Amino acid sequence: MITVAALVSHPPLLFRELGGASDPVAQLRSAALEALRALGEAADHVVVVGPAEEARIWDPGAGVDVHRFGGLGERACRPGLPLSLGVGARLLQEAGWTGPVDLVSVRSSADQAELDALADSLAGRSGRTGLLLMGDGSARRGSTAPGYVDERAFPWDDAVAAALAEGDAASLAGLDVTLAEELMVHGSASFRLLGAVGLRCGPPSRAALTYRGDPFGVTYLTALWHLPPR
Amino acid sequence: MLDRGTVPGGQHAAGGDPVSRHRVAGTAVSAGFLAVCPVRPRRAAGPRPGTVRTVLRLGRRSFADDDLLVMAIVNRTKDSFYDRGATFEEDVALERVRAVVFEGADVVDIGGVKAGPGEVVKAAEEIRRTVPLVGRVRAEFPDLVISVDTWRSEVAREVCRAGADLLNDAWGGFDPRLAEVAAEYGAALVCTHTNGAAPRTPPHRPSYDDVVVAAIDATVALAERAVSLGVDAESVLIDPAHDFDKNTWHSLELTRRLDEMVATGWPVLVSLSHKDFVGETLDRGVDDRLLGTLAATAVSAWQGARVYRVHDAAETREVLDMVASIRGTRPPTRPVRGLA
Repeated sequence: MITVAALVSHPPLLFRELGGASDPVAQLRSAALEALRALGEAADHVVVVGPAEEARIWDPGAGVDVHRFGGLGERACRPGLPLSLGVGARLLQEAGWTGPVDLVSVRSSADQAELDALADSLAGRSGRTGLLLMGDGSARRGSTAPGYVDERAFPWDDAVAAALAEGDAASLAGLDVTLAEELMVHGSASFRLLGAVGLRCGPPSRAALTYRGDPFGVTYLTALWHLPPR
Repeated sequence: MLDRGTVPGGQHAAGGDPVSRHRVAGTAVSAGFLAVCPVRPRRAAGPRPGTVRTVLRLGRRSFADDDLLVMAIVNRTKDSFYDRGATFEEDVALERVRAVVFEGADVVDIGGVKAGPGEVVKAAEEIRRTVPLVGRVRAEFPDLVISVDTWRSEVAREVCRAGADLLNDAWGGFDPRLAEVAAEYGAALVCTHTNGAAPRTPPHRPSYDDVVVAAIDATVALAERAVSLGVDAESVLIDPAHDFDKNTWHSLELTRRLDEMVATGWPVLVSLSHKDFVGETLDRGVDDRLLGTLAATAVSAWQGARVYRVHDAAETREVLDMVASIRGTRPPTRPVRGLA
């Protein structure tokens, strides 16, 4: 049973050691940690789902290869977790979560059958499970953004943010994968999966978009849904 | 002084004679010491057999292996990040060429398209911006090395016809025919690491097992391909391309370990000038990055980079002269103190 689901963006800057002397994503980090603490209070087991090049289950002890992105630390944890799951695992740690964790990657272009199967297995779990989904909005939101400007990014992000805020599972489940790819959205499958889970579990009893920002031309989001008991 | 003819950049690691390759600053270091205590695993960085070159030929000019060359940027663009259109007009661009030659530039690098995203500049417009200027510079400065910064083979062909000596393929072989044009016209070529990025694409979360190894493998492969196509092996440079599909950490690591790239034997060009990795490292805007650029320039020169693509020709010339004198490859200009 999914009791609670959080959606959190996963820029590498959330690895604190990459952000230099300041913390360039302090607001996102604060909102993410708050969401994960709330998630932890409503769950006994956490499943982290994030985008990667292949769909598979990862060993929670696989570690995080931050060095791929830089930093001053020693190389370790090769090949390590995919970025999205690495950020998710790190944030859970920082939020103080010490319970069991499953790590699952999905392809951004995952077809509906794949997501339905995953949503079925998640919704059918016993016990109080918290779902942590990793995903960003568009990276094409400005002249200095990674993907420059695509005007379609603004309505796309608005629609996702509204659906997260309103607990609108149907809208998330029906997101346009092709457009998401064109808008350089990392993790559109996470949004779609949240929609698919929401449709199976029923409308959230509480839904909140707790952070939205694009300080570097990429939309960052955090959201928290409490799902109804069954 | 480094035995540079034997060990370009000669700092470390495998390949070649075990004693001479560890001979740094005149001190022979036991081969066994480094074998037992590696700081971190690195690629075999010795020059590949047959790749050590002593002469760099750029057009009609030849440069010795201890010459440090200033390549001054001359943009015929409206929107490049640093000069923001200041030399877009052809006459102004020519004035800029005159100024940088006076300041000590050995090479001018003429560009018609901003590196980052922005206004679309089609090939015909890029040709219109670059070819006439190349012709005028060629006429006024017969011995100046003229480089053109382009990824397009059709532009490369026209600028070579107009007298360009060097093609700065800043987008890493995106157009594979560009090297063929270099071969056809006897032009020199810069082979750049962009990690497969499409032209004018900013980085988005690039990551590397080892950014230095990636840069070496890609640029050496491009260099070897260019030579196989007929480009003179003494006219090929490699460029790790700071900031191109790299974050600041990656560019810093490339700078820190530039000696590994130098050790390939291919002459190394670096383009550091006012780049974001300097700005992010020191928290400085584009107009306030000269000191950081010059620091990176000095470190690169010390490690053996040969060509410096810059906005500030005079300042770079002075830094390179100072480094050359510290290295012992350039006598001081006026060493009187204590000698009178």
